[in-house]
Amino acid sequence: MTNRIKELRAKYNITQLDLAKKVDVRRETIVFLEKGKYNPSLKLAHDISKIFNLPIEDVFIF
Amino acid sequence: MKTEKKPILIASILFMTAIWTFAAVVKGTDLLKGIDLYVFILIIIIGIIALYKANKKEKELKEGVALEDELTLFIKYKSGYISYMITMYLWLFIFLFKDKFNDTETMLGSGILLSALISLIVKFAVKHKLND
Repeated sequence: MTNRIKELRAKYNITQLDLAKKVDVRRETIVFLEKGKYNPSLKLAHDISKIFNLPIEDVFIF
Repeated sequence: MKTEKKPILIASILFMTAIWTFAAVVKGTDLLKGIDLYVFILIIIIGIIALYKANKKEKELKEGVALEDELTLFIKYKSGYISYMITMYLWLFIFLFKDKFNDTETMLGSGILLSALISLIVKFAVKHKLND
């Protein structure tokens, strides 16, 4: 599974730390997500998509 | 225990260890010679690392960063399970080769130290091979 988190962060000018704080996870988790090393739970995927006002399938590509 | 109290506690333990060492050196005992010296150095290193980690956590708490999330829990549970399985075999081998140890204290101490080392290595490995 890949994702567009890094691209969307750049577009909305959000840092990894800001995003981590908004979805209540550690910055390290965002780093692992962006590298594609970790597949998030449905809740985290939903929370991240909500931050970017996009449906899950537009942020996470299966 | 509250996170903000941890650095104080660890610093106190380190301070007490330093006083104990000073007293041992002044008295000129054999306490800090041979294997005891390595154990002492290990305690100091672990104490410093623990102090650094506790301070880092306290700082993160003040910044409003989550101390634990689904990834840290996943790493904790997975590495805990793997370490447990490996440690079982470690103790089996320790008891099989118990004649090789000088005394019971050395045997148990080695087992505990190796268990701690195994859990550290496994945690590192799990973290770097998350999706494998």
